[in-house]
Amino acid sequence: MRKYAALVWSVALNSFLEGARSRFFTMFAVFAFTAVYASVLAGVMAVDQEERLLGDFGLLLTELTTLAYLLFNASSSLLREAETKTIYLVFSRPVPRWAYLAGKLAGALLTGAMMLLLMGAIHLSLLYFRGFGLPPFYGWALAGIFLKLCVIVSFAFFVSLFSTSAVSTLVISAIMWTLGHFAAEARFLAEEAAGFKGLLLGLLINLVPNLQLFNARDAAGAAGALPASVLLPAAAWTLACYLAGLWLLSRKEF
Amino acid sequence: MKHAVSFAGVGKTYRRPGLLGARYHTALTDVSFELPAGEVTGLLGLNGAGKTTIMKLITGLLFPDAGKIRVFGHSPSDEAAKARVGFLPELPYFPPQLKPADALAYYGRLSGLSGAALAAAVEDAMRKTGLEPHAGKRVSEFSKGMLQRLGLAQALLHSPDLLVLDEPVSGLDPLAIHDIRSLLAGLNSEGRAIFLSSHSISEVEKLCSRVLIMVRGTLARTVKRQEWEASPAGLEGIFVEAVR
Repeated sequence: MRKYAALVWSVALNSFLEGARSRFFTMFAVFAFTAVYASVLAGVMAVDQEERLLGDFGLLLTELTTLAYLLFNASSSLLREAETKTIYLVFSRPVPRWAYLAGKLAGALLTGAMMLLLMGAIHLSLLYFRGFGLPPFYGWALAGIFLKLCVIVSFAFFVSLFSTSAVSTLVISAIMWTLGHFAAEARFLAEEAAGFKGLLLGLLINLVPNLQLFNARDAAGAAGALPASVLLPAAAWTLACYLAGLWLLSRKEF
Repeated sequence: MKHAVSFAGVGKTYRRPGLLGARYHTALTDVSFELPAGEVTGLLGLNGAGKTTIMKLITGLLFPDAGKIRVFGHSPSDEAAKARVGFLPELPYFPPQLKPADALAYYGRLSGLSGAALAAAVEDAMRKTGLEPHAGKRVSEFSKGMLQRLGLAQALLHSPDLLVLDEPVSGLDPLAIHDIRSLLAGLNSEGRAIFLSSHSISEVEKLCSRVLIMVRGTLARTVKRQEWEASPAGLEGIFVEAVR
């Protein structure tokens, strides 16, 4: 077991270093820095709601930028390794495909965690310069964003294994992320629809992860923290996408 | 004699999905041969003859549609088989920002090496392939010949019993070809089996004790060194006759 853990860690570390060294990582970070600081303008216009607006706006930018970078990374990672034949050097070695996929996923999520922390620091520095303290829900909000990333990045890896281009993976994953934020509305519509339409919609809804569960801001209104119970759907969705991806990868030829 | 690899009636057809149904291309038909352990065997054939397909089947990158493949008695997908095989694909790629030792350390870890054994394996592979003087350079600064050496070094890391080399001297200058030939001869003298594909008949002639000639996905001929040495036209004449 230690041997396999070491393999997963090697792939994850390599993937993380590749992700963090990528010029796109720097580009996204610079963009996020500029965007977060540009939100000062919107904050000034919000007058007495500046603290709340800066908090919400910064978190939104943090989520969107990290999501964009990770989807870009996850969409192209396996495809690039196949195109450059790097994958030949991996799969001609005693590396089980499950360990490789787990390592790639872990590496992407490590990169995402680092980007979240970096952007969180940028965002908090802005709040500090404007004279505001640490928002009470902040850590939970970042944790919620990370859980969403776990789900959507594992989904992107799954899609990249049957998709013909990185762009189509990116688009499909972005659509899934958007749909995931309307799960409650879709569920309401399914309940309202009658007959076959309702049944079909009900079935489709179960294929879309409910990403609203991980919005700490929503949870904060009630309890001030994400409930521990959200870990279960996050883990279930991530695992389901990983297993579906593994099923494809184990049949894939290079 | 023990066999490093055995192919028995192996067939492989590629399926290319398309909008109006899949297209099929038969790459190998009923291919049978054995690679003796400790010998250097060459694989010759025109483009599209099935050379790379055979190499990928041995390394478990492709799965056969028909027949049976054994690598040291195991299925090519088994970890036990992969642990004994080193593979150099044609034109290997390494991340340009890395130094050779870093790239090798990664592949060494994937081969199950760690700690002092990993450091020693990396050092040994760099020494054998002549990469030591270039240890401080990044892969982006490497010439094609140096990249090929690095590719060979990653294949040697875990001291494999069989080296599978796809076009190991393709596009290299004469000096690099000479160096790689000497390296392969040295590795063979250590008892390792080498299976290499090439378009260069003269290279194969110099290194191999046996040559397989592929023609349109079938094994047209197996030629031993004594045969081509006895033939007035040499290996080239035998090859041309086989592929025409």
